[in-house]
Amino acid sequence: MLGKSFKIVEPRRFDLYIDDLVCAPDEAVVKIEYAAICKADLRYYLGARDKKTLGFKYPMNLLHEAAGSIVVDQTKNFEVGDRVVLVPNMIPPTKHECENCVCQQADLGENYCPHALFASSNYNGFSREYVNYPVGYLLKIPAKVAPQLATFTELVSVAISAYRRLNLQGDETVGVWGDGVLGFILSATLRSLHPKGKIIVVGKDEHRLGRFLADRCYLAGDPEISEENILVAYECVGGRFSAEAINEIIDQIAVGGRIVLAGVAEEPIGINTRKILEKGLSLYGVTRSSRADFKKALNLFVNEGFQAAISQLILAETIINDITDFYRAFEAELGNKELGKNILRFNI
Amino acid sequence: MNIAVILAGGSGSRMGIVDKPKQFIDVYGKPIIIHTLEVFDNHPEIDTIAVVCLSEWMDDLRILLRRYEINKVKWLVEGGETRQLSVYHAVKTLSQECADDDIIVVHDSVRPLVTHKIISSNIAAAKQYGAVDTVVPSADTIVRSVDGVTIREVPLRKELYLGQTPQSFRLSLLRRAHEKAKAENNLNSTDDCQLVLELEEEVHLVQGEKLNFKITSFDDLLLLKAIIKLGKTEML
Repeated sequence: MLGKSFKIVEPRRFDLYIDDLVCAPDEAVVKIEYAAICKADLRYYLGARDKKTLGFKYPMNLLHEAAGSIVVDQTKNFEVGDRVVLVPNMIPPTKHECENCVCQQADLGENYCPHALFASSNYNGFSREYVNYPVGYLLKIPAKVAPQLATFTELVSVAISAYRRLNLQGDETVGVWGDGVLGFILSATLRSLHPKGKIIVVGKDEHRLGRFLADRCYLAGDPEISEENILVAYECVGGRFSAEAINEIIDQIAVGGRIVLAGVAEEPIGINTRKILEKGLSLYGVTRSSRADFKKALNLFVNEGFQAAISQLILAETIINDITDFYRAFEAELGNKELGKNILRFNI
Repeated sequence: MNIAVILAGGSGSRMGIVDKPKQFIDVYGKPIIIHTLEVFDNHPEIDTIAVVCLSEWMDDLRILLRRYEINKVKWLVEGGETRQLSVYHAVKTLSQECADDDIIVVHDSVRPLVTHKIISSNIAAAKQYGAVDTVVPSADTIVRSVDGVTIREVPLRKELYLGQTPQSFRLSLLRRAHEKAKAENNLNSTDDCQLVLELEEEVHLVQGEKLNFKITSFDDLLLLKAIIKLGKTEML
């Protein structure tokens, strides 16, 4: 089946392609209806990676946060019209046992598999009219959840993945550094998954912090943070301010504390290793999420309070009628300083 | 119900190929007509499909429908001598089983790049207005010549559109238009909307797309192949 597709071919340049979709026996055809632009998509859009990396990536369909509806499913797992989210992290089938397989380890999982394919990174993403996709990586959106909202499932699943990276006891005070979308979603997710523990958020924008679901919010640099006895901290800052945030966490976290790094820094950064040693801290890296995290994320969305919280992140709905609208959406997201995202509604 | 009528009764004489009609030409492992039928077969609002086909190609078509698992085709209708007669044959067949207010979406089998969006717009507008034509605004200035040697006039470009398919109608209206044309011995129309206009009924416009072009020449075939080939670029 023929369908339209927008691929990035060089920095700030999309081209229209016509894809011929050929379904494998385990795949269904999904019409992409809603999607959101992630920071990683913006990096590819701007060409903010080294030239060789980009040479291997372009041309590529961007977007990995998406919801759609089933058009054809010969596996009979879904009905035509079923609304689904697409899990962007896939493990390709292999005949061989994976060496040092991490997929079955609860704290790691398939999102750390070196053979994993990730849509819009080393595999084509969802900026297209239709995608043929393995049914095992499609999850039905509960009837009560609007598909626009379901585009946030990927980010919620990343928050769940960050949460499961550590085995929390249940009542620890947890600090979240970062007043962006991931910080907001992580604090809302922790509110549901870690209800007995105190949740502290540290950021730089007082107005934004006022909207967070947290027990207490602080502006970065506030000396009172050290009085909170934070045992676990999540860094959700990334970019050029990640070093500043991580060093503040190192300063403020309790002795023996655990730090989960969730933000992506573009360049190698300097952090205070002397203090990490002195305080006996542990650092954990997290990236992406697994199919199981997606399932848990969709279950969270069934909760109306959680839905209401995440709904605040929808800034507007932008209709994508053609490739020029797609350009405009990327340019708009580059200039977006609000707490939230524009949801793209595909009508191509 | 929404029923697609796919016109595949042409012989492809304009392309020079003698062994098969152009709608059966293979493009990257799949005949053009199958590329087109897949779009309709997978459209959630299309309930059934009728294909109007040359009688000597019926079996070939049946084999292709089976091989490519096209499931919604309910009627294979024998084509007529002209496009108008082919559509009329389909209208007669459908009238035996379908309701008067069912929507008939008539489409050329050699426009494989029709989109779900265009089909949905056709169905919605046909339900509202009864008759719709898919068009794109003319980007070129169009000149009118009667003798093929000199210009008679240059019509205002902003009033000109290029007609595509689908053209969609309420079944009763389309049947009335064809029966009037037949009664008046007007048998060579290349466009069903013209026949509806003869009834002094309005035909509304639905926005088409340049890519929804018709494969009528080798140039068009080359263009289609190039467009699809681009999409086959694999990531490393």
